Amino acid sequence: MMWEVPVGLENEAARLRRGDPAAFEALLERYQNRLYRYLLRMVREPATAEDLFQQTWLRVAEKIRSYNPQRSFEAWLFSVARNLAIDHLRRYKPESLDEPLATGETRADQLVGAGPTALEGVIVRERSSRLAATLGELPVIYREVLSLRFEEEMKLEEIAEVLGTPLSTVKTRLRRSLEQLRRRLEARGSASEWQV
Amino acid sequence: MKEHDKVRELLTLSAAGTLDSSEQQMVERHLAECAECARELEGWNALAGGLRRLPTPRPSAALVERTRTLMVKHLAAEAERRWDLGLLVFAVLFAWTLTLAGWPIARLLTSGAAAWLDMSFRQAWLGYAAYTAVGWVSAGVAAVILGLRHRTSRRMA
Repeated sequence: MMWEVPVGLENEAARLRRGDPAAFEALLERYQNRLYRYLLRMVREPATAEDLFQQTWLRVAEKIRSYNPQRSFEAWLFSVARNLAIDHLRRYKPESLDEPLATGETRADQLVGAGPTALEGVIVRERSSRLAATLGELPVIYREVLSLRFEEEMKLEEIAEVLGTPLSTVKTRLRRSLEQLRRRLEARGSASEWQV
Repeated sequence: MKEHDKVRELLTLSAAGTLDSSEQQMVERHLAECAECARELEGWNALAGGLRRLPTPRPSAALVERTRTLMVKHLAAEAERRWDLGLLVFAVLFAWTLTLAGWPIARLLTSGAAAWLDMSFRQAWLGYAAYTAVGWVSAGVAAVILGLRHRTSRRMA
């Protein structure tokens, strides 16, 4: 499938193919937060995410000549990161790809003494924190599809390219991941927070 | 399958903003008449909103700097490798050019001198061998220089 590639991005990717360090600087600047967030959602451990972050950029430099400029650089970059993360998970956690992590504790003590506005902020952060923790408990195939859709705001076609799966599989995974997330929130008694 | 059940299955993807226009229209038509599905979608929308608003964990400045340094080194090494490869290709082409074209050109340019020196065609193989040797020795010298350069740069890295 062909993509409409933003002109600036196209130039940067083409310049990186020619080995231009300035192009790398621009791409790093553009994608550093998103790429790190995606890797952290995948592997859940900051130290591992940091290691994979570096490995991803090195792999990008090594493989940039095999990148087709007609395709989405973003999808290609995330598929490189995904392959490294999946390799890591297979190598180091072969038995526990779907194993839930221990959830974080609440920070109820922070609520004490907080004013109304600060309190609202803390409540929002608490809800986000619980949601992030529950998201972290999902199997990796669900975590990644949720992260790519809701955090990276990728289209289904781009997600399919990153995952290397048919569009129908992406739709099914997206639906099941939301359902499973909601079920887990309900089991924790947190689902009502996400009801209007 | 009843429309209600069908729409029910589409609500998650609607909240994810991934339905095509005909599916979205069907959902909207049904929601106008079905309060149960409308409530259900509100729940999915709230969850989707929560996912979109999750805080973004950022890489540390030290990690970004380490990555930048690593990449600059890698790109420089890659550029040098390409330059070395270009030089090697040039040296090989130069050697083959000398090998193939050297003797005829020398004969052409020095036909008078060759006649004066009484160089006959039978001696051609000597000249040809000499030019071949010059070509390949040049390439060999280039290869040694490249090797030494590479070793020095690796020692300094």
